[in-house]
Amino acid sequence: MRRKLAINRLRERGDLSGELVTQFVDKYRSPIIEGQNATFLFRGDADEVFVRHRVVGLPDPLPMKQLAGTDLWAATCDLPAGSRVEYQLETRRGEHYERFNDPLNPRVAHSPMGSSSVCAGEGYHVPSWALPDPEARPGELTEHRIRSKALRRDQGMLIYTPARFNRVLRYPLLVVHDGPEYVQFAAMKTVLDNLIHRLDIAPMIVAFVPPGDRLREYPNYAPHARFMARELLPDLESRYPLMESPVSRCLMGSSFGGVASVSTAYRYPGVFGSLLIQSASLVFTDIGQDHGGGPYFDPVVKFVNRYRAKPTRFTDRMYMSCGIYEPLITPNRSMVSVFREAGITVKYEENRDGHNWDNWRDRLQSALTWLYPGPQKYVYE
Amino acid sequence: MRTILLGPQRFTVRATSALRSLDTTGPLAVVNAGWEEREDDIAELDAALDHRMRGLRLYHRLTDVLTKDREFARAASRFRDRHDELTGLYRIRLDHAMTGLYAVQRQIPSHPARARHSAAFRALQDAMGGVRAIDEWYLAELELLYQELEVEGGVNTSEVVAWHRAEIRTLQNDCVAWVFPGGNIRTLTSVLRLFAVTVPPEVPVIAWSAGAMAMTERIAIFHDYGPQGARETELFDTGLGRVRQVVAFPHARRRLKMDEVDRLGLLALRFEPAECVLLDDGMVLDIGPDGILPAAARRVGADGLVRSGEESA
Repeated sequence: MRRKLAINRLRERGDLSGELVTQFVDKYRSPIIEGQNATFLFRGDADEVFVRHRVVGLPDPLPMKQLAGTDLWAATCDLPAGSRVEYQLETRRGEHYERFNDPLNPRVAHSPMGSSSVCAGEGYHVPSWALPDPEARPGELTEHRIRSKALRRDQGMLIYTPARFNRVLRYPLLVVHDGPEYVQFAAMKTVLDNLIHRLDIAPMIVAFVPPGDRLREYPNYAPHARFMARELLPDLESRYPLMESPVSRCLMGSSFGGVASVSTAYRYPGVFGSLLIQSASLVFTDIGQDHGGGPYFDPVVKFVNRYRAKPTRFTDRMYMSCGIYEPLITPNRSMVSVFREAGITVKYEENRDGHNWDNWRDRLQSALTWLYPGPQKYVYE
Repeated sequence: MRTILLGPQRFTVRATSALRSLDTTGPLAVVNAGWEEREDDIAELDAALDHRMRGLRLYHRLTDVLTKDREFARAASRFRDRHDELTGLYRIRLDHAMTGLYAVQRQIPSHPARARHSAAFRALQDAMGGVRAIDEWYLAELELLYQELEVEGGVNTSEVVAWHRAEIRTLQNDCVAWVFPGGNIRTLTSVLRLFAVTVPPEVPVIAWSAGAMAMTERIAIFHDYGPQGARETELFDTGLGRVRQVVAFPHARRRLKMDEVDRLGLLALRFEPAECVLLDDGMVLDIGPDGILPAAARRVGADGLVRSGEESA
């Protein structure tokens, strides 16, 4: 027989003392994961309490109910195995709303927008290759700056060179949009060090490029594409021993960075033979212009609509991923067949997560081993 | 010609006893270029070889040639690009051909008496011919690439290469045996070709893992447990050919899905008349001048089952 949820067992006890509630909370913390259910808890005085999240399919805000006679609030929702959800709690006291991380949950994820609490479903774990490994020899990050005529500014970036970098050898190139964020929030240097150490991926040169005016430059902006293809690439080729074939040049990005990767490769077909895009904001309309994304999405929609009307094979292969809990899942699913029909080899993966950096980190092994496989198949010690 | 093929040496060291079985004294020419930048970390290996090791340092020599001979470096770079392109095309063709092969294999009746006379069985044989043709095409194209590299890179006219070749000849001149440990087979075959390494037939060889692969005529690469899952076994290159009619599979238990007998059966069929020989931990195959595999050799049969001669006797 299926066991009742812990919160329901508590509720049925009736006459809940503060001490009993404290024991319960101390025992379980928050959220309580029981099979396919997650129960969020909050203790305190408020008129209303909500779980705030961006999971498509679940009500947002998710109202919590107060257990009669106590200051304990709870809400239970479905959480399929392997899920990972970022959330916050929100209280209303009179007219005053306050949003904050779950004080009963020590697990927190960070992003440029701040931090969120993390609810990890059954079976989810942070991949071992995303955690520092003392056995893995570290690559090096160095600062680099070039003058961009296209962008009319100096553009700084971080350049990753792998452990045992040797100028006699040649390396594939990965250019990462929102580069420093990938290093800071998706542990990308650790991931590269570990995957290279494990022979899962080829040693590579990575340019972590930060955005300037991100919302203007990433959604299909000619000067940005010109900078990437005509300024940055030649500069890197002159400084580092890079492979010359287009498939050994990969553009990468998430969200608007995914759009920037696609639009740059589209504007310079044959230059970048590989793309790695995550939760790309490839929003489009089938009729009219009402996309619901606000003015920043106007150039995106214009670009994607135009591409969908006349798809071309602007790159050789593309790794795409998207979380199934994010609103961008529908456009991403739709674009897979469009890219494939244009003749692009696409590897597409979905996972039970949202639009966040931990999700993008968790897909890096699959993406990078597909695009730049390591020498594992050649090594027989 | 005596060649001793061993299983991996990391956990079960058989190299020392194999060496002593040769009953020789004197230096050993050792090619551990597959270790790449760890080529000089030889303390453990030297101890296992009774401190008789004479490293030929072929990886070190390769990087020296790449540094000093710009013409060769450029040609090697072009070769790598062309080889990558060829490998990509080979994989596309091979994956499609193998998908067809598996589909046909599923149509074969399960009853053995009916299977042999079925149209599906004949279709499988024919489809296998297609796979073998793709393998042969790949090796032929690769040979052309090597010829281009030789001409474009001036391999036979390069002073740097010639200097290293001469030094290698001097170094190995009085060696009583050669040892080829494992490592990166791509690097190992590259240096063997670049420095035109040949082992005199009368000099015995001990080889394991990638080294064992390099002793055979055709080298197959495989890994069913990589991050992208099982991929088809691919031919990679030709080896020194001291061991004939054998395709070596080191670390088979760790790298091959041994329970997929239908797939293994096709592997055996694909490389016939060569035998797919598994080289797992502890394996010692002492192959004498007659070239006959010892009974202990574990071979994959056409039914996908692994047997040694001892078991079938």
